[in-house]
Amino acid sequence: MTGPTGAPAAAAHPAGPADSPRAGGPLAEDLDAYRLAVRGHLATEPAFKTFRARRYPSTEARMADHARLERLLYDAGWNRYGWPPAAGGLGGDERHRAVLYDELAAAGLPVPGQHMLLETLGPPIVRFAPALAAAYLPAYLRGEEWWGQGFSEPEAGSDLASLRCRARRDGDTYVVTGQKLWTSHGATATRLVCLVRTGTPESRHRTLSMIMIDVDTPGVTIRPIAMANGDNELAEVFFDDVVVPASRLIGAEGQGWAVAMYLLQFERAMYAWLSAAEALRRLRELRGQLTTRAAAGQELPADAAPRLGEAYAHLVALRARSADTVRRLAAGNTVGPEASVDKVLLAGAEICLHDLARDLLGDEFLFTAQTTPGTGDDTDDVAQWRTDWWFSRSATILGGSAEVQRTILADHVLGLPKEAKP
Amino acid sequence: MTPATAATSGLDAATTELLTGSLREVLAHSPDGSALGDALAELGWDDVLADDQPGATTLLFTEHGRALATSRVLDTVLLTELAPSLPPPGPGPRVPFYPRGTAAPVAPDAPLAGLLLGGLDDVAEVVVPVAFDGRVALSLVPADLLAAVTRPAAGFDPASPWLLVDGPVAGLARYAVPEDASRAWDRAVALGRLAVAAEIIGVCAAALQLAVEHTSARVQYSRQIATFQSVRHRLSESHVAIESARSLLVVAWAALAHPDSGVGAARLAKLRAGWAQAEVTRHALQVCGAMGLSLEHPLHRHVSRAAALDALLGGHRALTAQLGAELLTDAELDPIVEI
Repeated sequence: MTGPTGAPAAAAHPAGPADSPRAGGPLAEDLDAYRLAVRGHLATEPAFKTFRARRYPSTEARMADHARLERLLYDAGWNRYGWPPAAGGLGGDERHRAVLYDELAAAGLPVPGQHMLLETLGPPIVRFAPALAAAYLPAYLRGEEWWGQGFSEPEAGSDLASLRCRARRDGDTYVVTGQKLWTSHGATATRLVCLVRTGTPESRHRTLSMIMIDVDTPGVTIRPIAMANGDNELAEVFFDDVVVPASRLIGAEGQGWAVAMYLLQFERAMYAWLSAAEALRRLRELRGQLTTRAAAGQELPADAAPRLGEAYAHLVALRARSADTVRRLAAGNTVGPEASVDKVLLAGAEICLHDLARDLLGDEFLFTAQTTPGTGDDTDDVAQWRTDWWFSRSATILGGSAEVQRTILADHVLGLPKEAKP
Repeated sequence: MTPATAATSGLDAATTELLTGSLREVLAHSPDGSALGDALAELGWDDVLADDQPGATTLLFTEHGRALATSRVLDTVLLTELAPSLPPPGPGPRVPFYPRGTAAPVAPDAPLAGLLLGGLDDVAEVVVPVAFDGRVALSLVPADLLAAVTRPAAGFDPASPWLLVDGPVAGLARYAVPEDASRAWDRAVALGRLAVAAEIIGVCAAALQLAVEHTSARVQYSRQIATFQSVRHRLSESHVAIESARSLLVVAWAALAHPDSGVGAARLAKLRAGWAQAEVTRHALQVCGAMGLSLEHPLHRHVSRAAALDALLGGHRALTAQLGAELLTDAELDPIVEI
């Protein structure tokens, strides 16, 4: 649930895939052909059916099932587009990934939960650690492993540059000591991509490094954190003299902040687009649930229509903005501080959608206990909205809080005088 | 509907800058827009429009909004689209009628409720969209028939030359052109909405600029008030609202480029521009303090103009309710935007 937060998104290096020229078949070159091919396959392949509107009793169950979906997408080739062949991909660019998420949502299918962090962690590894990308990304795309993002710490949330988890160089290895908190997918991940300190804390962002650590390395202890909805979406991670090969560095030692800023572009562009695609699918499902209730004679709240219209308009506005950002990223442009607009819009759309679900489902949302999780009855749908409602609250917190985004815009886009230091 | 895949813009940066400068100059010297027609002719605006209708329209109306201009250039946007469905004009000018509410065509027997963008003195005919049996017919109503039920619309916006039409007009059917103009009216409204959305964006951008300037200059507690986080964040939210309206406007123009789509996207673009003006004017008024409420500070003019423009061709609340009601029945949740 973390992300570099204390600074605007700005790339230290030009965006672009590590391999060039790209290999790949005609679909890597022709986005519309890719779109139609994905659409046709998702509509006709029976194996996808079981993933429609499926509800899960836990994050662990959802991730395990979504790993199967990832495997299906890998075998068909679909989630390999947008990634370089050297990392198990089939070529193409970010737009292919964006189209896949959109087509999954349009087909009523979830975007595999693993892809959320793939979108933020994959690109910097492809760009700054091609050997690691070649070694591990194919397994990620196959659903055989996924990675957590270890950025935040107990004393370093929004103020990421104050982090203290230390990595001391010792020959060909680093020895990592310290703690990470709010680590997304920490409870189920195979590896953690961590931002660690390789100098003094006083040097802030200048002595940070990014490193990939296997969770089964001796000295790593992971404690899942149950969120308010009961799900182990996050974890805290303890490192007790954990020995990590220096070859696991992502970028050079001391380059961690630059890598994090590069990563942030994908968080702003790709993660936002992915989330917007998912949100549109969920809005469609909510609409279905509401019309079913209305057809059964249940009275909807008087403001159901305007609020549904508002949520939809908000989502389409987000999509309009986000599509432009994704295209700029795919064209090799740097996505800078102006992308905080996307982030603010995403948070607004998520909050709007889930408050809508909570309010329109009313007493059911608040008072109907789930009977048997995972049995596919109607209470599952309501329970899912409750779970998602809590997750939606993180939209204004993770990856740079609502306050941080507004400050970035005030500083770097509107050019306002800087906030007074205490 | 065919989803919009890309923005189109035929105007290059240098041309855009040149045209922007010219338009600003004309509108600054002629806020009532009286010199606008001649200036546009001089700029060869028809060629600019032919070259890049989305870019040219957005540019013109954004500047129109920024300058708080009150010309009838929007009439031209609608009339151009309606012209093929109408007989050739007679000796006097025509103007379109802007229905209130969601800009739906009026019922033939109901009192007329709507707006005109200026006086009827030189006008011969008013083009009124009338709903007959689920189709739209355009009625060419003699201006003097309407004059009896119009009054100045300068309520909240004292500088407005608009007229409010409110009252019964007999025999709308008598002046109806037989041709089915359903599609032409929908497209005219869609184009009008995109123009007004751009105009609202222009008003909002100017209001935000005023707020940024005021808060950067005004000192309280020995600090510029723009150094206070709450003030900064309100201004950032205003920026987000404007930018989201801009993005949707570009998408809607691309959608409208297809002959049979884009009407829904245009409604959304207008809706979000209207929503943006509510956000921006609320924040700008707050951070400008009492000064922003005074007659001498220019902010109030932006606030009232933005509110009036929101109401034109469907206010954001009315459009949101209309859209939501459609979605609750059976309308598709169109993704509108594709990569």
